[in-house]
Amino acid sequence: MASLIDIGLGGVFHAAIIFLVAAGLQLVFGVQKIINLACGSFYALGAYFGITAIAFANSMGMSPLLVLPALVLAGFIIGLVGIPIERVLRTVYRRDESFQLLLTFGLLLMFQDVFRFFWGPTPQTLNNAYLAYGTANIFGAQVPTYNLLVILASILIALGLGAILQRTRIGRIVRATAENRDMTEALGVDSKKVFAVVFTVGCMLGTIGGALVVPAGAASLEMAVELVVEAFAVVVIGGLGSMRGAVVGALIVGLIRAVAIIVFPEAEILSIYLVVIAVLILRPAGLFGKAAA
Amino acid sequence: MINRRNLLAGSAAVMAAATGGRLFSPAIAQAGPLRVGVLAPRSGVAGTAGECGLRAVQWAAERFNKDGGIAGRKVELVIEEETSPKDTIERYRRLILQEKVDCVQGLISTGVSLGIAPVAEEEEALFVMWDGTTQDGVKETMPDPRYVFRSTDNECEAVMASLLAVKHFKGQFKRIAGINPDYSYGRNNWEAFRQILARFGIEFEVVAEQWPKVGTMDLTSHVAALKAAKPDLIFSSLLFADLPVFMKQGSASSLFDGVKVVLPAAGWQLNQLKKDFMPEGVIFGHNTLYFAHPDASPLQKEFVADYMDRYKEAPHWEADRAYFALAAYKAGVEAAHQAKGGWPDLQDIIDAMPERKVESLGGEAWFRKDKIAEQMFYQGPSTNNNDYDFPTLASIDAYSSDKLQKGSGEDFWEWIKSAQLPS
Repeated sequence: MASLIDIGLGGVFHAAIIFLVAAGLQLVFGVQKIINLACGSFYALGAYFGITAIAFANSMGMSPLLVLPALVLAGFIIGLVGIPIERVLRTVYRRDESFQLLLTFGLLLMFQDVFRFFWGPTPQTLNNAYLAYGTANIFGAQVPTYNLLVILASILIALGLGAILQRTRIGRIVRATAENRDMTEALGVDSKKVFAVVFTVGCMLGTIGGALVVPAGAASLEMAVELVVEAFAVVVIGGLGSMRGAVVGALIVGLIRAVAIIVFPEAEILSIYLVVIAVLILRPAGLFGKAAA
Repeated sequence: MINRRNLLAGSAAVMAAATGGRLFSPAIAQAGPLRVGVLAPRSGVAGTAGECGLRAVQWAAERFNKDGGIAGRKVELVIEEETSPKDTIERYRRLILQEKVDCVQGLISTGVSLGIAPVAEEEEALFVMWDGTTQDGVKETMPDPRYVFRSTDNECEAVMASLLAVKHFKGQFKRIAGINPDYSYGRNNWEAFRQILARFGIEFEVVAEQWPKVGTMDLTSHVAALKAAKPDLIFSSLLFADLPVFMKQGSASSLFDGVKVVLPAAGWQLNQLKKDFMPEGVIFGHNTLYFAHPDASPLQKEFVADYMDRYKEAPHWEADRAYFALAAYKAGVEAAHQAKGGWPDLQDIIDAMPERKVESLGGEAWFRKDKIAEQMFYQGPSTNNNDYDFPTLASIDAYSSDKLQKGSGEDFWEWIKSAQLPS
């Protein structure tokens, strides 16, 4: 029982992180129709900035118990970098998808040098933060409390995002813009503002994800590329542009990976891509995606 | 009057004069600085190690230059980055063809080394590796190179850590688990560990094998899998940031409670392995440099003090490898210079380097006749009882690599079955 909980929570923790990045990817694609390859860079940016923010907060005497909210705040603040980046992306909104892919891929590569310039080539870690909340005993399983808090934070973010999109005026405008940009513009919606808001929120999801993961792991120059591949697996499984798809896709990827690591460790990556291939063959639009007309 | 014919003839004459018959001969002028090209990673997973090596080779060059350089010529470093094999080969060619360096040193990745070594032989240009080998797995691909000097075999630290696991933990474990990087280094280390346990008559049962790919920053599922297997001992040759992440996540999940831990390559990441999450009594491999050795040479003590004062962190074995590469080259050049009574040519230097013992940071070191390094290795059980924020060694075991690596031309798996291993 304890082992099952350990394994399950390991998978859900991983799912919680990739959900945030994939949700940002989905949101941006759903509304702006841009496949944002730079989403992994936002994740890495959140991780690096999270380390700097916590180091600063620690120097100001912050209690170790405030690490998690401080990281969420750090991710939120650095996510504002999405505003100027969205201005750059405006140049390719109406252009061919290949331009968009090249531009966001260019951003992904450029960010790697930005990280190297500001934080150096050495992987950065937050030493004490991960252990600050101690260990929780769940039916005999010793689980880092921090992992549980990250899972909880991801659930709250997913619920909050869902509530905003479904139950608020801005949510309705965003959904309407996603459905038909020209029509909403004809009705007086400033789609440029909507795009700016959506892209910045998508960026923040990535930066918060990166900030949250860094106490458990490390910020490294490769983490952007590593995660972007997994985030796209989530998107393919869940369906491009679907938030529900991001939740289910992330859970599938996280749990399949966790089970593969136990049962047949060599198939850790293979198992995820077998599912991706199966979805592409059997349900090309993904589990929750809309099939092309 | 210049026409096409005499322009071509003139060009050919200039080329012939410039090259002296050998198109890509390094420019060993007898005056001016001795130019040493350095290839080291500055980013990526090996960026930390590369940076440490670069700092050490710069320290070595400054030190040698203060004493008159190498055979009277100042050392000038020309630094390039080690990245992918293809790009690094291009930079290597640039160093020897455009920068006309007298020698190239560096490399950490065996994957890159395997690409560059044949090029060095082809170009007839001296290459001294820091940490690169020419092994395909454990198989030597260049048994008798002329121009390429290589580091100790990659498996030395695993062989030593396995011996120390037997020495310190014998009778205290039966169920063993491994979490090792998913490439030949990790797989060979794990296999070597099991072979050595078998050779020493240790009864064991493998209860889990984990193979995370390099750079995996979420190891919680791997930790859960290891916990589920309930091992008595965990052997891990994880490197780079992966090891601190594993230790942190394992510690937070109480994975190491009552479990013996063997980390042959821990020293590479010692600054990131904080006491907060490091259990004590871990077999902790420092490879060829243990920065806090109480009986270290004055050279090591001076280097460590300078390094820690300047960079606010401890140096690890890449510093020793980089220092050794330059010191071995210096010794070879000076010996050849003395023998010849004038500036030696490249062939004289290459002939003078093997079996010439030099003082490196971690102790005496030399190149064998087959141009593979022999150095001292340091490991031991760790303690957190020190003034640093990371572990040091509670007791130090020091073995020469001539007891830890296969002889020239030998097969590693055959060697390990019958080698005279220290105990």
